[in-house]
Amino acid sequence: MSALAVLGGLRDTLLRMLPHRAPTGLRPIGRPGADAAVLVTGNYALTVRRLQRALAGRDVWLLVADSRGINVWCAAGGGHFTHHDVIAAVRAARLSERVEGRELVLPQLSATGVERRRIEEATGFRVRWGPAQADDLGAFLDRGRRVVARERAVRFPLRARLEMALIWGWPAALLSAAVAAGLGGWRTGAAVAVAVLASVTGLYAAVPRLPLRGWRRWPLFALFGVGGIGLGTLALAALGGIEGRSWAVLAVAALVADAALAVDFEGTTPWFVSSFAAAGHARIELEPERCSGAAECVQVCPRGVLAMDGGRRQVTITDPDACIRCAACIVQCPQDALRFRFDDGSVVEADTIRRTRLNLLGRRSVEVDGLRGPGA
Amino acid sequence: MASFVWMRLLESTAERYDRGIELLSRGRIGSVHRRLAELATADAVGARVLDLGCGTGGVALACAARGARVVGIDANAAMLEVARAKPTPDAAAAPVAWLELDAMELEDRFPPASFDAVASCLAFSDMAEDTQAYVLEVARTRLVAGGRLLIADEVVPEPAPRRVLHALRRWPLALLTYLLTQTTTRPVRALPARIREAGFVEVVEERLWGDAFCIVRARAPGGEGRAGAAP
Ligand SMILES: C[S@@+](CC[C@H](N)C(=O)[O-])C[C@H]1O[C@@H](n2cnc3c(N)ncnc32)[C@H](O)[C@@H]1O
Ligand code: SF4
Repeated sequence: MSALAVLGGLRDTLLRMLPHRAPTGLRPIGRPGADAAVLVTGNYALTVRRLQRALAGRDVWLLVADSRGINVWCAAGGGHFTHHDVIAAVRAARLSERVEGRELVLPQLSATGVERRRIEEATGFRVRWGPAQADDLGAFLDRGRRVVARERAVRFPLRARLEMALIWGWPAALLSAAVAAGLGGWRTGAAVAVAVLASVTGLYAAVPRLPLRGWRRWPLFALFGVGGIGLGTLALAALGGIEGRSWAVLAVAALVADAALAVDFEGTTPWFVSSFAAAGHARIELEPERCSGAAECVQVCPRGVLAMDGGRRQVTITDPDACIRCAACIVQCPQDALRFRFDDGSVVEADTIRRTRLNLLGRRSVEVDGLRGPGA
Repeated sequence: MASFVWMRLLESTAERYDRGIELLSRGRIGSVHRRLAELATADAVGARVLDLGCGTGGVALACAARGARVVGIDANAAMLEVARAKPTPDAAAAPVAWLELDAMELEDRFPPASFDAVASCLAFSDMAEDTQAYVLEVARTRLVAGGRLLIADEVVPEPAPRRVLHALRRWPLALLTYLLTQTTTRPVRALPARIREAGFVEVVEERLWGDAFCIVRARAPGGEGRAGAAP
């Protein structure tokens, strides 16, 4: 990898919260023939770069569609990456003239906003869901474009978690350190940065082992906050800046920064429902009379909530607690057999979800059939 | 990986779009919408007008107010919800038909020669260049012979000193707008040339706002009789 690529990657990672556009269009990787696979992705610069790395040495087409420079999962969930964008990419690239195959491989994590059938109707290309993670694309291609169950789950390995710690930690650390430096001198500022980064890194490292459901998460966050302050204190002592006032500034600044990050810590992981989610109290529900056993929901669920019951040729909900209310299953079901049911008994049907993208993030600013999000 | 706080901000964009664009255009966007409507309805009363990338409906509603039969298309369902919630400008005007459709899908819904005018404000700057070219070509075929194309969008001023001044003036506004709405606009480049390449004739570009905004007028070829009515 060239120094330039390393720098580019670093910049993309640090600025990950901001949209960062890559050019759209059809790109060859290697020397794809007219019958090579066509993999669709969004134009988030970091994703495009990673895909090119993951697919190095292969001959495939990459069709980069316009996701407004946002990663596929967030863009699809937020209504910024839809079937319209995929259809547009297919047409603008004049894909049917350039390849012989009539199949598109879509990233599974786009299933919350990209409706498979709409693309097939408009373009004549069949759509196949690829794996959830780009790392598995190679194996997927080797297997003859087949996904195995474990590749449908969103993983959140240590590396990705540490990256997330950096992404959220550095702006928070920088900001709180600047304030603390103003109040208590540069040594205090440095110690605050250490404290914030340490607690955030610790949290992300430990997240698979933390019971982050319900009220129990608050003492856990506090524990990591206090641990961070402990390390910050050591740093302050090492810098020779320890005295009553600077320590107080350190403790308060670090706690404020940690609290701000804790507000939606769950939401920054792919395993928990965001604490802002309007659909947070909804449960996924299957109407068995409507289910035809197409099992498209099983193919797109990133949490392994649904399974095919081969004997009855129907889908069953096997692990409702793992559901993150992303609504991918509801959006893709050809029979509208899935829906959300809220604690108060109200339901939100597939049609509404497709129209408003009421997924785990919810749309707090719009009232949907009398349903109102917490922020509204 | 997911960062839902970020997504949360994105999601409420549509509701805040009108405020953001008002700010970025320094309150002048409404006059552009009205001007496009004037040009789009200049040939005939009851003209059939398409507002391409109608967003929250500014151009479409201005055309309806002038008695046109308007279809507003946008790929963004949330923006359309905002447009739908707005009242028809006056009781006599026909309601606008709002349609969730990408400009690239025009050909699926509308047969050739469906419209007397196609108007579009700030939507081309939202499209990749290959998309722009494709959309222009389809738009030409959906217009009647001699039908009007009207595009208003942001451009980069040509003289270098103006360009620098413009950039300096623009970025704080752009930042503010971005913080409020998480959207931003990027100037279009070489639009008149692209419009000519797509087969339009009588392409005229008008620059306003210190050279930083353009209104491009053009016509679909044919229909010589109508061309006489050009402004
Ligand atoms: C900046 S807004 C402009 C809205 C409105 N025309 C106005 O002047 O206020 C741009 C709109 O264009 C839409 N848009 C961009 N590209 C589009 C495309 N290819 N097809 C349909 N709509 C598109 C976006 O969804 C967005 O709502
Ligand atoms: S809403 Fe729940 S069950 Fe449906 S795809 Fe998402 S995680 Fe799986």
